[in-house]
Amino acid sequence: MSWFQDIIDSFTAAFIEKDRYLAYFEGFKMTLLISLFAVIVGVVIGMIVAILKYTSMRKKGLWLIKLITDLYIGIIRGTPVYVQLLIIYYIILTSRDTPAILAAVICFGINSSAYVAEIIRAGIEAVDKGQTEAGRSLGLSGVTTMIFIVMPQAIKNILPALGNEFIVLIKETAIVGTITVMDVTKAAQNIGMSTYNLLPPLIITAIMYFVVVMVLTKLLAIFERRLAQSDRR
Amino acid sequence: MIDVKHLNKSFGDVHVLKDITETIEKGEKVVIIGPSGSGKSTFLRCLNLMEIPTSGEIWFEGKNITASKSKEVDILRRKMGMVFQHFNLFPHLTILGNITLAPVRLKLMTKDEANKKAMALLERVGLADKANAYPAQLSGGQKQRIAIVRSLAMNPDVILFDEPTSALDPEMVGEVLDLMRQLADEGMTMVVVTHEMGFAREVASRVLFMDEGRIVEQNTPKEFFESPQNPRLKEFLSKVL
Repeated sequence: MSWFQDIIDSFTAAFIEKDRYLAYFEGFKMTLLISLFAVIVGVVIGMIVAILKYTSMRKKGLWLIKLITDLYIGIIRGTPVYVQLLIIYYIILTSRDTPAILAAVICFGINSSAYVAEIIRAGIEAVDKGQTEAGRSLGLSGVTTMIFIVMPQAIKNILPALGNEFIVLIKETAIVGTITVMDVTKAAQNIGMSTYNLLPPLIITAIMYFVVVMVLTKLLAIFERRLAQSDRR
Repeated sequence: MIDVKHLNKSFGDVHVLKDITETIEKGEKVVIIGPSGSGKSTFLRCLNLMEIPTSGEIWFEGKNITASKSKEVDILRRKMGMVFQHFNLFPHLTILGNITLAPVRLKLMTKDEANKKAMALLERVGLADKANAYPAQLSGGQKQRIAIVRSLAMNPDVILFDEPTSALDPEMVGEVLDLMRQLADEGMTMVVVTHEMGFAREVASRVLFMDEGRIVEQNTPKEFFESPQNPRLKEFLSKVL
């Protein structure tokens, strides 16, 4: 049974010796932090882009804005986030004291904003057109109708998709190690290098991602069910 | 009250309304009938600018609303209620919320006044017990009566009905028509697009027949149904009566 003992030993070395588990947890905290702030940046920019695109789709005079938002969304969704990260860190934010974490948040925030913009726009468009008509026919302005009638209904379509975007970001941010951010993946690589055994730390990391993603997915499903219930009241 | 002058409406290449000129007086109950695709709903929706006319003018209470700014149009719409085929109640608000949203948001009433008015109206249509229910808990007929109450809460001068009973189960048509009949008796100005010939015959002060984007015949209900002139109308009536 010595092979089994070897596995135990290698995992002990990768996780417990020298309090290495702290490095994973610190790393995972970084992963969650970057994902969370990226999703916040993404929602703020994405909301603006979504509103610009939604309005410009309905008014012919705003074709230039529509073109710009289409380009923005198209370029960001059409290029790898890894390439975007390198461009932002090595070419745009080149000032020496720019923290790599900030670059990561900005990069993933911008990247996420393109997806969030489409999530929000689709959420708004999924609300029955009759709702807007009913609001407008009562004399409410377009903005008031949007805020008090359309948005509260669109949120139900948008929130679950935003939660999903957060989950996707947790996995996608695994590449931030390239720009020297110490996330959980990078921490695992470092541990693997110091123990001369890369497999155990990577497996531990994979398990951590998997558990967190599963838990969040489950929570999201419960949340979605709750939202759907309130529709049936 | 409503003056329509040379109204034209096209959707792309399709010319839906063709040079319609028509006047609707205060207190009139105008019922518009016609085959589907004849433009009757589009005509109705042009009256409160739910559809923007391609050309022509619409005057409402002495104002050319087709030339008005969107803010002025919002104000005019307060006086022009609209009831839709699919009710379009706001599903995220209670019945009370549905009725009071516009008057309160537009600062026409305080929340208390709006609630009081809404309860009085609900009492009247026999749905006071539903004040705190949500639209999904109501039957189709109840929803449509609430939709009518919602427009009444704005104290409109005219209500436009766009096929108000077409989406209802047959047994619920009666309760909605009864309410509309009551409004008519009280002198409300009404423009109604409908397939309910009985309602047209009993309630209308004038019936219009639309075909292919034009008003091809109009008359008092008695004359309209008993001695139609236009061959298309004769054919239409022979099919629906």
